[in-house]
Amino acid sequence: MGLTRRDFLKTSIAGATAATVGMPLSEQAEAAVKAGEAGWQWDKGVCRFCGTGCGIMIATKGGRIVATKGDPDAPVNKGLNCVKGYFNGKINYGKDRLTQPLLRMTDGKFDKKGKFTPVSWEQALDVMEEKMRWAMKEKGPHGISIFGSGQYTIHEGYAAVKLMKAGFRSNNLDPNARHCMASAVVGFMQTFGIDEPQGNYDDIEHTDTAVLWGANMAEMHPILWSRITDRRLTHAKMKVVNLSVYGNMSSDIADLEIIFSPSGDLAIQNYIAHEIVKRDAIDHDYVKKHTQFATGPYDIGYGFRPKNADKYHSALEMEVVKNEQSHVLDKWEAIGQRKKEGDVIEQKNAATPMKDWAISFEDFKAALAPYTLEYTAEVAKGDPDESMEDFKAKLKQLADLYCEKGRKIVSYWTMGFNQHQRGTWVNEQAYMNHLLTGRQCKPGEGAFSLTGQPSACGTAREVGTFAHRLPADMVVMNPKHRAHAEHLWHLPANTINPQMGSHFVKIMRDLEDGQILFSWTQVNNPWQNTANVNHWIKGAREMNNFIVVADAYPGVSAKVADLILPAAMINEKWGAYGNAERRTQVWRQQILPPGQARADLWMMLELSKRFKIKEVWGEQKVPGLKAAGFEDGKLPSVIDEAVKMGYTPDSTLYEVLFATKDNKKFKWPDNAVAKGHGNHICDLLKDGWFPEKALFEEYRKFGTGHAHDLAPFDVYHSDKVRGLRWPVVEKNGKWVETPWRNNEKYDPYVKKGSGFDFYGNDGAKLVMGDLDKPGDPKNAVDISGKAKIYFRPYASPVEKPDANYDLWLCTGRVLEHWHSGTMTRRVPELHRAVPNAVCWISQKDADAKGLKRNDLVWVESRRGKVKVRLETGGRNRMPRGMVYVPWFDEGVLINKVTLDTTCPLSKETDYKKCAVKIYKA
Amino acid sequence: MNFSGILVMAKPDNHAEVIAALNALEGVEVHQVDAATGRIVAVQEAEDIHAEIEGVKRIKAIPQVIMAEMVYHYLADDERTYEAMPPELIEQQDGFETCAVPAYLNS
Repeated sequence: MGLTRRDFLKTSIAGATAATVGMPLSEQAEAAVKAGEAGWQWDKGVCRFCGTGCGIMIATKGGRIVATKGDPDAPVNKGLNCVKGYFNGKINYGKDRLTQPLLRMTDGKFDKKGKFTPVSWEQALDVMEEKMRWAMKEKGPHGISIFGSGQYTIHEGYAAVKLMKAGFRSNNLDPNARHCMASAVVGFMQTFGIDEPQGNYDDIEHTDTAVLWGANMAEMHPILWSRITDRRLTHAKMKVVNLSVYGNMSSDIADLEIIFSPSGDLAIQNYIAHEIVKRDAIDHDYVKKHTQFATGPYDIGYGFRPKNADKYHSALEMEVVKNEQSHVLDKWEAIGQRKKEGDVIEQKNAATPMKDWAISFEDFKAALAPYTLEYTAEVAKGDPDESMEDFKAKLKQLADLYCEKGRKIVSYWTMGFNQHQRGTWVNEQAYMNHLLTGRQCKPGEGAFSLTGQPSACGTAREVGTFAHRLPADMVVMNPKHRAHAEHLWHLPANTINPQMGSHFVKIMRDLEDGQILFSWTQVNNPWQNTANVNHWIKGAREMNNFIVVADAYPGVSAKVADLILPAAMINEKWGAYGNAERRTQVWRQQILPPGQARADLWMMLELSKRFKIKEVWGEQKVPGLKAAGFEDGKLPSVIDEAVKMGYTPDSTLYEVLFATKDNKKFKWPDNAVAKGHGNHICDLLKDGWFPEKALFEEYRKFGTGHAHDLAPFDVYHSDKVRGLRWPVVEKNGKWVETPWRNNEKYDPYVKKGSGFDFYGNDGAKLVMGDLDKPGDPKNAVDISGKAKIYFRPYASPVEKPDANYDLWLCTGRVLEHWHSGTMTRRVPELHRAVPNAVCWISQKDADAKGLKRNDLVWVESRRGKVKVRLETGGRNRMPRGMVYVPWFDEGVLINKVTLDTTCPLSKETDYKKCAVKIYKA
Repeated sequence: MNFSGILVMAKPDNHAEVIAALNALEGVEVHQVDAATGRIVAVQEAEDIHAEIEGVKRIKAIPQVIMAEMVYHYLADDERTYEAMPPELIEQQDGFETCAVPAYLNS
C-alpha cells in the first residue's frame, strides 16, 4: 500500500511541477494531478516574505491551506520558489498562534507588573482607548506612536497614515522599513526627486554585468539570484562581481569576489569614479543633458541622541556616542576629506545633514583626486590574509568593467548599503558611477536598490507610513502637500500637523525618556529588530507607559508589551503588496483567522469608532512646533471648520476618515471580485462596505497624474493580471504599466524629445558652491529634468575594533528564516534546517582564542552580550577580524550587542559594523 | 519525509547523460523530459530538509546541468516534526499566559 501511495504521490508531484513551469503533461501525470488535487481550490497570491515579490498559487480545501506552488504566470519568479516561499502555506499553522487578546493584569485590573490574562476585544479596546486619551492629554498628539511596517498591506498602511495623521494629528508613525530602506529612499529623493528604482527585474536578462554591493542575493533574494545564475550560464559576456565584507554563497558563481573593510565601499565607489574620469569613460552627452554635480557637508554626526546622551548611556557607551558632538579624523578620513589627520571636527551639521549645493565638474574631479588605487586599496582591503597586490588587481578589474564602453551593468544592493552610517551617501555614489557612464534607466543598465520586505516599496514608501511622509512622495513639512492631502481627505485646512514625527529609533528613545507614553506595534517586532535593545526593553518595562503589540505569534515584542492583540496573517485577510520593481500585487482572503485573531485593519477601524472629532481636533500644543503659520507652537482647533464642512462635533473618526459617504459606495459583498471568497472584516463591521477596495480607490487619487498612477482595484484582481508596475496609465481602455521610468521610450511622463527626463527634480534649484560650502544664494541653478551626481567622501565607522573589543560584528539574515523568525521558526522544516543562530568566525581567529567549532561563547560589546555557538565552516567564509551573527533567533538576541548609530540623513541604523569581543561562556 | 518536484535544465544534447546521472542519485527519479526546451522534471525524496537542500546541490553539481531549482513541495501534515520546536518557543507554549519578561531576555 505504502509503495503505491508513494508512487502516486511522486507522479502527482512531477505532474504539478511540470504544469507549474509550463511543460506539457503526460496523460498519466495529468490524471494523477487531478486526482491528487480533488476538491482543491487554487487562487493567485503573493509570497509573504522578501521584497522580490514572487507570485504563488495557493490551494485551499475545507478552510485550510493545503498546498502552495510558484505561480507559472508570475513574471517575477516564473513558477519558481525559494525554500521560504515554498513553505508559505505553513506559516499560518504554528501551534502557538495568538488567538485572543492578552492584557497584563492583577486582580482583574490592568497592572504593568501583572501577568498576561485573556480579555475580550471589547476590554482590549477599552484599555487602549483609555491609555491613548491619557497619553494625548499628557503629551499632546506626539505622546502616542505606531511602529508600522514594510509588511503592512497597502490598505493597512494607508489606514494607519490616515488614522494617525488626519485623525489624531500625530506624525509618530514610522515603519520597520526605516531599518531597511530609508537610506535608499533618501538616496532616490536627493538624486532623482522621486522614490524607487527606475529599472526592473528584466534588467537581469538584458545585462552583461551584475555587481553586488553588500547584497548576498544567493541567500536573501534567491529567485532573482536564479535569474542571474541563468544569465551567467547562458550569456557569454555576463560577469558577476560580489563585493562583501565576508565570503558568502553569492561568491559561488561570481567571476570576481572582493572582500572589503567596513565602510571601505565609500572609497571603492570613489575610486571607480576616479578611474572613469581619469580614463575619460564618461558619457559626456548624458552627463551634460541630464545631470548636475553636487555635494553636501561632511560634519553630520552619527545619528545618536543629539543631547543629554550621557543621561541614558553608560560611560563605556559614551566612548563612542561622544562622536556625535566632535570627531577626530583618522589618517584615511583626512586624506579622503582633504584635511589633516587628528583634526577635531565639530559635527556642526548633525541637525542639517541633508543640505546640498551644486558644484562644478572641476571641483568634482578635484574631490576624487585622493581616491587612487593605492589609497583605496589601503583603506578598503577587508581580508588581512590577502596580498595587497591581489586586492589591487581586483579593484582594477572592477573599475575596468565600469570603464568598458558598451558593457551593460546593473549594480545591486540591499542592507549592506542601506544599513550604513553613511548609507545615503553610498546609495548616491552608486548613482554617481551609473550616471557618469550614462548607465541609468536603460534596459540592462542601472543602479538598482533591492528591497528587503514584501511591501517596503508598496506600503511604507508609496503610501508613506514614515514620520515625515504623506502618500505619493509628499511630506508633512510642505504646506502645499498638507493642503493637497487635506483636500483629498475632506479635512479642514491645518488639520495635519506640520511637525515631523519621531523616526523608529527616536520612538524608542522617546519611550525611554518618557516623551511618548503610548505605543502600538503592527506587523513587526521592534524589540527584536532595533539595535542596542537593552535600552528599549527597559524603556518598555520600567517606564510609566502603555505598549500594545499586535502580532500573530508571541515574539519578543509581544512579551515586553502590556497588551497583546492577536493579528490575522496573510491569506486570512485581503491584501496588496508592492515589490522592489514597482509591481503592485494583490490577494484575496483564503481562510479565516484562527480563534479571535483579526486583521490589523479591523483593529484600526474599530478603534477609530471610539474617538469623536471634538476630542481630537481641538487646539493642541505640540512641543517644538515652529512651522510657518503655527508660530504659537499650537495646532489650531479645526472643529468649527469641520462643522462648516458638514461634520458634527460628535462625528467619529470612523465616519470622517473611513466609512465616508464616498467609501460606502463600495459595497460588500462584491461577487465580481470576491468570486466566493469571504472578508472577515466586513463580517465583523456589518455595515455593508468593502474597506480594502474603498481605501485602495481613495489612495489611488494621490498618485494619479503625479507619476505614481495605479490601476483600479478590480484590475489587479483580474485573473489575467500578475501585478502591474507603476505608473500604470490608461491607454485606449487598457491599463499599461511602465517597465523603465525616466526613459522616453517607456515612461509616459517623460517630455517628448528629451530622451531621458528626471522630472522628479522639476522646479528644483541648487545654489552653486565649492567643495566646502554653498556660495551666494542668488547664484542658483535650475535642475529641472536633471539628476544629481553627488561627491561624497570616505568616512570611517564610528566604532572600530581596538585592544579591548577586537573584532568586527556584522549581522543579517539566513536563507531559511525571515526577519525575527516569528513565522519561519514555526515551520518545522525551516526550523530544523537552521534551528539557532550561530556566530561565524574564521578558523584562524578561533585558533588564536583557543576556541573551536560549536563552543558556546559570549559575544560582548560596550552595550550588551549574548551567548551563541561558534561556527567556523558552513556557508560563510569570514576573514580574520570579523564575525557574523544572524538576528532571526530570539534566543540569541544579537541586537543587545549592536550599536544604534544611524545614517544621519536617513536615520537608518547600521547593523553591519560594531566592535565586539568573544570569549568562552 | 520530504518530497520535492525539481526542474532541471540541460542542453538537449546532454540529456541522456544528465538523466542517467539523475536516476543514479539516491531518492531521485526523472519523471518528465521536454527535449525541445531542455527541461527535465525530477522528483526527489529526502529524509528532511537538510537532505532535501543538499540533494538539490548534488543535482546542481552534475556536469552539464545548467540550472536546478525546487518548484513544488508536498505539504504533508506531520505532527511529529513539531517536536523540534526551538526551546524558548516551547517554553512559552507551556506557560505563556503567565510569563513576565522571559529569563533569556535578562541574561
